[in-house]
Amino acid sequence: MNKRFFAALGTVILGAAVIAGIGTYVASAKNDSRVLAATAAGTMDTPQGNLPHYTLDISVYPDAMFGGHGTGGGHPDWVSYGPVTNFTVPAHSAITITVANYDGGETLNNDFFGKIRGTIGGTATLNGETISSVAPDHVGHTFTVHGIAGEQSELFFSVPMKAVAEEDMPEEGYTKTPNVTVFTVITGDEGEYVWNCEYPCGDGTIAKFGNAMSSMGYMSGHFNVVKA
Amino acid sequence: MTTMMERSASAPGHSAKRKPLIERLNIVTALALGTVSAVVVWQLALKFMPDNADTAFFFNREDKISLLSLIAWFIGFMVGIGALIGPFRWLLGKDLNHDENMFYAGKDQGIKRYFRYTTDHKVVGIQYLVVTIIIFFVGGVLAMLIRTNLGHAQGGWIQPQTYNAIVGWHGIIMIVATIIMITGPFGNFVMPIMIGARDMAFPRLNALSFWLIVAAIPPVFISFFTGGITTGWSAYNPLASQAGLGMNGYIAFICIFALSTMVAGANITTTVIRMRAKGMTWNRTPIFIYGVVASVALALPAFPVFFLSQIMSGLDRAFATSFYNTTGGGSGWLYENLFWIMGHPEVYVILIPAVAALMEMAPVFTRAPLFSFNIAVMGIGGICGLSILVWAHHMYISGWAPLLSAPFMITTELISIPTGMLFLVLIGTIWRGNLWMTMPLMSIFALLWNFMIGGITGIYLSDVPADAFLHGSMYVTAHFHYTLMGAGLTGALASLVFWFPKMTGRMFDKKLSWVAFWLVQIGFNVAFMGMFLVGLAGQPRRVESYAAMFSRGNLITTIGAYTIMAGMLVLLHGVIISWRSGIKAPMNPWQSKTLEWTVPNPVPLENFDVLPIVTGDPYHYGKAQS
Repeated sequence: MNKRFFAALGTVILGAAVIAGIGTYVASAKNDSRVLAATAAGTMDTPQGNLPHYTLDISVYPDAMFGGHGTGGGHPDWVSYGPVTNFTVPAHSAITITVANYDGGETLNNDFFGKIRGTIGGTATLNGETISSVAPDHVGHTFTVHGIAGEQSELFFSVPMKAVAEEDMPEEGYTKTPNVTVFTVITGDEGEYVWNCEYPCGDGTIAKFGNAMSSMGYMSGHFNVVKA
Repeated sequence: MTTMMERSASAPGHSAKRKPLIERLNIVTALALGTVSAVVVWQLALKFMPDNADTAFFFNREDKISLLSLIAWFIGFMVGIGALIGPFRWLLGKDLNHDENMFYAGKDQGIKRYFRYTTDHKVVGIQYLVVTIIIFFVGGVLAMLIRTNLGHAQGGWIQPQTYNAIVGWHGIIMIVATIIMITGPFGNFVMPIMIGARDMAFPRLNALSFWLIVAAIPPVFISFFTGGITTGWSAYNPLASQAGLGMNGYIAFICIFALSTMVAGANITTTVIRMRAKGMTWNRTPIFIYGVVASVALALPAFPVFFLSQIMSGLDRAFATSFYNTTGGGSGWLYENLFWIMGHPEVYVILIPAVAALMEMAPVFTRAPLFSFNIAVMGIGGICGLSILVWAHHMYISGWAPLLSAPFMITTELISIPTGMLFLVLIGTIWRGNLWMTMPLMSIFALLWNFMIGGITGIYLSDVPADAFLHGSMYVTAHFHYTLMGAGLTGALASLVFWFPKMTGRMFDKKLSWVAFWLVQIGFNVAFMGMFLVGLAGQPRRVESYAAMFSRGNLITTIGAYTIMAGMLVLLHGVIISWRSGIKAPMNPWQSKTLEWTVPNPVPLENFDVLPIVTGDPYHYGKAQS
């Protein structure tokens, strides 16, 4: 009886171990495991008082022929953020994000994402000028972090990136004059968030919401708020 | 005696020790040839396939390459297993001789016959049993990953895209496993003996139907590593058209599986119609046979539609056709219709044989006649007839045909009547019977409970106004698990214990069967009651994380799921140790009256020395000698 009981128990434990092993492997498998951490930049006066200040410098390119994707990437012709698409920023801090957009664009599906939301003052600077929105037919991409209702702090901000004008897009390589957008957000408690672009830029798919838009590591990634 | 094979082995041009081709092919050669074919075609396509034209709507070069590689895999595998030897020889006018047919039947080959293109229905039944268990194991692991991730509101353990792929993969392989779980192992092993036949009508087609399923499995496994099935098991278009390359694995999997189902359906139907023993009139044919035939008869028209839907999906992906692409003149509704024209009969393809198997066991374990055989047959027939007229209840909210909502609501609700007939038969048989408390008998009670909940909750989903609220929620997920798992799988597990002695020659360990039964049934009801709660509260299905208000219900479901896991692993343990070293089974351990229990263990190659003549119905327990 005991032998039989322990044999059955052993099968259950072995099965659970198999599931745990596969689960651990699956959970650790990332499309792009590289992470860019925000750089410390002193402190900053914000509406919530003087907070630690950090910066993130990122870009968005019309293809994925740069950085870690490079020519050996799975989809070199897909539009992509870079140099990586996973970011960590400290909690309860002011984070200034600079995005250099090298890509063109057309018209947003949803005008909602043409307006800057969730940043300090609801504004950003575009090539040095303060703005609160970008005309929906001039948006190239957006950088949008969606918080969801749950136990972690709410975090939502969405900033449109102005498209590079058609005439400024070179036949080869990247434009020398990207549109640079700078904005600052304030983080809450620690939490794991997902960011994505809300401008449909998955060329070659229906409604342009496929490939780069539906694959982590191109136009979406992780935005994790960690302990300072 | 010098056999034809021996003669051909010593023919000019052959080495004396060289085995004839038919003896050299097995699963190893099949896997090898399939893999080599796929890799060669893949590399050739990479080299010679032209780039997409700038105007190409889809990223179709990669799709063409991956679909071609999967087709090459399929052809290579089927050649490697030996599926084409028979047809090829027939085309050459040199059909297989007696000795070769005996080799195909697995005569005197021991365990090797299970790894070859063996035509003996009993071998095919065992092959199906093992493959079904493996698929359930993989699907179960995926289910546990899903439930572990959903054990916490924020999810996050598994990446959202990977989570979507796991949900899609779990869904489709579990659907396939439940489709084959009765008709595969038991329909093949038991059914021919039960009707007094020596084998199936088309033994080679029988082997073909099994090996097609084996050929279908690698593409769906590979799909997980090439972008996954991120669309859910239904693979709605145009979502599927713009998903990653993993969808091509899904397309290949479904097409090959549909071929298998069509072949099996034609074979089983023909066998039952043409090969029943003398005296086995339709009134004397066991109810399990009706269940199996109804299942495959429903699948026969349904799966070609599924096959076609995936061919069109593949064409949309690889050749930029517009069957489902609205901007090109196609329609997503077309896919939805094709899918559910298969998808709802498919529910009954799964359920009917499970209920029929339990109806077969009910007289055995109550020692009472089957209560109203005719009502049972009418119930099965009624379900079959109505089940092809209900598909659009899955599409109320799609906006496809609002005027047809009411008719589809009526046909769906009408199906409760023949389903109720089957309940009546089971309850009537148990009523005042001399209950022999075994795991199969308890499974009848479990089915009545689970199927009652699954059926009643289904009525709300068939109702258009209620469905508007419940559609796409966890309530739907809980409902179909109550029917497919609570009823279908319960019937399959009871079948396993019931027919285990005949299939393996060993009794299933009684205590382990009880432990597994209670763990699975308690865990199941805990898990899916919790899911009903969060579904009614509004939690959508197929989401990786959810609002905190759903946390408690999800935690309950996850605890229930782990309990099911423990039960299923105990059952798996029971299968292994009982098969290996269980008590040797007598010829008829349950004192049943159907024909499969009249043959010895192990069952001889051709089942019967002399074909039986049937003189009465198989359920005359407790009656005067009929």
